[in-house]
Order: sequence, then structure tokens, then C-alpha cells
Amino acid sequence: MFLQVLLNGIFLGAIYANIAVGFSLAWGVMDVINVAHGTMIVIGSFVTFFLFKFCGLDPFLSIPFSMFILFLIGYSTQKYLLNFVVKVGVFLSLTLTFGLDLFLINVVLLIFTGDYRSVTPSYSGTNFQMGSLIIPYVRLVTLVICFLLAVLLQLFLTKTRTGRAIRATSQNRQAAEIVGVNVAKVYSITLAISAALAGACGSLISMVQSFTPFEGGFFIMKAFIICVLGGLGNVMGAIIGGLILGIVETMGARILGTGFQEAISAIIMILVLIFMPKGIVGSKYK
Amino acid sequence: MEGKKQKTLIIGIIISFGFMVLPLLIEGYWIRVMSSIFMYAIITGALNIIAGFAGYAAFGNIVFFGIGAYTTAMLMLRVGFPWWTGVIVGAILAAIFAILVGLPILRLRGHYFAIATLGINRATEQIALDWGSFTGGGKGITLPLPKMEIQSFYAMIYFIMFGLLILTVLTNLLIARSRLGYALRAIRDNEDAAEASGIFAPTCKVIAWAISAFLTGLTGGVFAYWFSFIEPATVFDIMIAVKAFVMMMLGGAGSVLGPILGAFLLELISETVWGQFLTIHMLILGIIVIVVVIFIPRGLLELFRRKISLAALIKNIKNQSV
Repeated sequence: MFLQVLLNGIFLGAIYANIAVGFSLAWGVMDVINVAHGTMIVIGSFVTFFLFKFCGLDPFLSIPFSMFILFLIGYSTQKYLLNFVVKVGVFLSLTLTFGLDLFLINVVLLIFTGDYRSVTPSYSGTNFQMGSLIIPYVRLVTLVICFLLAVLLQLFLTKTRTGRAIRATSQNRQAAEIVGVNVAKVYSITLAISAALAGACGSLISMVQSFTPFEGGFFIMKAFIICVLGGLGNVMGAIIGGLILGIVETMGARILGTGFQEAISAIIMILVLIFMPKGIVGSKYK
Repeated sequence: MEGKKQKTLIIGIIISFGFMVLPLLIEGYWIRVMSSIFMYAIITGALNIIAGFAGYAAFGNIVFFGIGAYTTAMLMLRVGFPWWTGVIVGAILAAIFAILVGLPILRLRGHYFAIATLGINRATEQIALDWGSFTGGGKGITLPLPKMEIQSFYAMIYFIMFGLLILTVLTNLLIARSRLGYALRAIRDNEDAAEASGIFAPTCKVIAWAISAFLTGLTGGVFAYWFSFIEPATVFDIMIAVKAFVMMMLGGAGSVLGPILGAFLLELISETVWGQFLTIHMLILGIIVIVVVIFIPRGLLELFRRKISLAALIKNIKNQSV
């Protein structure tokens, strides 16, 4: 039983990690707290829903489409809106993304209405047994994709030229500018990647739970907590923070009942903030 | 300078007098609208003390609103206190809560503080939700109805909210002129430098937050009495705090009248737009927020005071973009 709960916690944690990776990227590199990240995830879910319902596309195959659409949204958001205020201070950019969040929620609401939607391919709900453990296929594939995306992001940041430019800008914007990095462009690409990750995450979540256009706030809260737990702005931190939160929440729900789950994670976050302000992994992109 | 001060005072008195006689001219719906505008103006003015003067973005400030509302409700229902005692006790509790929580978390800077306040709001809301036997839980709780005619009740709420608004403006004014105000602004501009020049930052910040919490708590209590029904989702609604933040920035953070102006403007716009476009008013609000942040990041008050032209605004945007 304990193993099963732990496994469920890991499955949940993988999704949480995926929620936080993109959010933490934008925050760590640009100091932008993108409150609209949650709604970007929801848009990803709706892209998958649309493709599944009207084109009959398999939800897993729709991931590239939602990533592409969110990439465009993220790129234009940064280029045409956030780049104007990002230098001034965190609160301006935060307030701006809040406005954007309201805007996006209502656009989605106009197109898809506020009904609960879910994506249910033929294999959803099927599982296999390994010893006494029950493993749902969807959750397992989701786990694999989540970690694949994290590894790809890490490789991109460390091995490619653009990735190195992103990390350089994260460490010191002025110094990066001096050595010839086009900061405006790097910023646009960073938010685009962050949004694309949100898109992939949304596609995966659409198979796990039902969703409405208003689900974004829930994801944002989780992303906050995970960033605080794992430390800001590095891929490993988001993964570890996500896994910890997933396991703690599942265990907590098992022991104390589901009621206090949210309060527990909020209190853990505050305690970590006070006693370990740099998070468990700590430090920015290096 | 003296003449200018007197002029401001006279204008202030005239405007206050205008709001005092306004209920004779308007009725029903508009009295409620005005009361709700006053309410937002108080919350925004209170937020201004910690976020505008001290630069600490307390996004979860609405937790004090909830504490005020729930204390009032609990004292009226479970103890049988008159409503105003409940409101005052609620505000005091909110201030105490701010001091207790503020001592550890006001050490955090920047986003970390903002998020910690969000977390505290969330945790408190969850406790109010889960402690159903005492707080009524997610079903909410109904307060005893006022024993007076509904018209005069709404008029009374109007005047209470207006009185609280005056209190908020005066508090802001006093803080702006006092040593505390200068200390807070020094902390906002550079906390390390402020501490190096002899300001004991932790105490200043905690006092500022406690005052902010007290005012927000008062409003929460009056809100509970006014609506006579509260539930965790309404009184701990993070949207209220975020809206107050936008109002503060719209008017001009860190000034005395800016946040109040912002609250009046945004609420009036939101109220008139609401009637016109039922389905897309939130969408329009979102666009307003984006436009305000990009074009007038320092607020409308600054715009009026300096008479900034459009060309200067565009130049400003070019300067601040990466």
C-alpha cells in the first residue's frame, strides 16, 4: 500500500514538475513571474481537446501542436508586451501578466465556454499490474514525457548556442549585452520556450483531469510552491520540488484526509521560505 | 506653499461634503455601487502603506479582510456581540496577525515576500474551509440581519465606508509626512542603504503592515455586516487584492491620493463597462491593466502633475524596454 501511494505521488509529482519547469525558467532568467503561465497550460489542454474532438487526433500526438501554438503566444507576449516593462521591475511585469491572464482566460471562455471538458482516448483508464502495484498507462507515459522534456530543456540550455545565451543573460544581463547577446531576442525565446513547456504540460494534464478555462490559478499556486521548494530557476530544482510536493500531497491526503492538503502545502512553502530561502537545490542557472 | 496647502484642504472639504450629500441625490443601486467603490478605495489605500510606501508587494493582503469578516461573523453569532464591536476586534486581530506573521516573513525580499503572503492567504482560507464546525466551512455563514429598514441600512453602510475611507486617507497622509513614512520610502528605494543610515527596517515594516492590516480588517468586518453572508471563497478572494494592486498602480503607488483615485476610476469604469458588455468585461479589464502597465507605470497622478505629453510617454517606453 505504501509503495502504491508513493508511486501515485511520483506520477503526480512528475506533472507538478512539468508545471513548474517553464514557470521557473521565465522567473529565473528574466525575473518575470508569469501569472498567465497557468492559463497557458489550460490553453494547451484546450488545443488537445479541440484536436481530439474535431480531428480525432491522439492526445499524445497533439503535444507538438500545443507546444507550437503556445510557443507563438509566448514569443509575441514577450516581444510586444513584456519587453517594454521587464527592465523596470518585477511588479510591473507581474501586473502585466495578470492583465494578460484575465485576457487569455476570457478569450478561451468565449471560444470554448465554461463547461467542464475532458479528453478520453480509448486507452484512458486502462492499466497493468506489477506485483501488487497498479500502473495506469496514461500516467506512466506522462511521467516519461515529463522527464524527457526536462532532459531536453537541460540539454538545450547547456549544449546549444541559444541556451548558453539564455544562461548568460540570466547571470548578468549587462555583461551578456556587452559580449554581443541580443537580450530582447533571448528574452522572447525564453518566454516562448517557457510557454511551449506549458503547452506540453496542458496536453498531458487534459488526459488526467477535467478542466475549465478557470483552472490556471490552481496551477500557478502549485508552480509557486514548487519553485520555492526546489529553488528558483534551475531545471533540477523544479523536478525535485515537483516530486517532493507530489509525494507529500499524496501521503498527506492518505494520512490526514484530502481536506487539509492545500493548507499543508501552503504551510510547507512558508516554512521553506523562512528557513531555506534559496530552496532545497538553490542557485540560478550556471 | 501655504496658499497651496489651504487650497488643497478646501478642495478636500468640498469633495468630502459632496460625498456626504450624495446619498440624497442617488438611490438604491448607485448607493451600493458607491459603497463598494469606497470599499475598494480603502483596501487600495491600506495596501499602499505596505506596497506603495515600503515597496513590499503584499499580494495576500486580502487575508486581513477575511480575518476581519470572519471575526465579526463569529463574534456576532457565537458570542452575541454588537456588530461594531466585532468589526473593531476583527481589525485588532488582523493587526496582531500581521505582526506575528510579519516578523518572520517581512525578512523576505522581492517576490519571495509576495509569494509568502499568497501562501498565508491560501493557508488561512483552507483553515476557514476545513474547520467547518466553527466557521461554517465552504457552505459559508449567515450573519444576523440588521433590524432596520433596508434603505437606511444601505445609507448607513455608505457613510461607514466613507468614514473609513477618510480614515484611510488621513492615515496615508500622516504616514507620508512622518518619520515612519520617510523610513519606509528609504526602505523601498534601497533597504541596505536605509539600514546603514540608521533606520531599523524590521520594526518599520512590521508597523506599516500592521496599520495596513488594521484598515483592511475594519473593511472586512463592515463587508461581512453589509452582505450578511460570507464564505471563504469571497472574503479570501485573491482577485480583490490583485485588483487593489492594479488600482494602486493606476493611480500612482506611494502617493496619498493616487491609489484612491485609481480605485474610483477603475471601479467606475468596471461598473459602467459591466453594464454594457456582460460577457467580455473581464477581457476589457485585462486590456486596461496591460495598457496601464505599459503606458503609465508611475500612475495617473504623476501624469497630471508633470503634464507629460504623448511623445514623452513613448520616449519613456523606449528607454525602459530591453
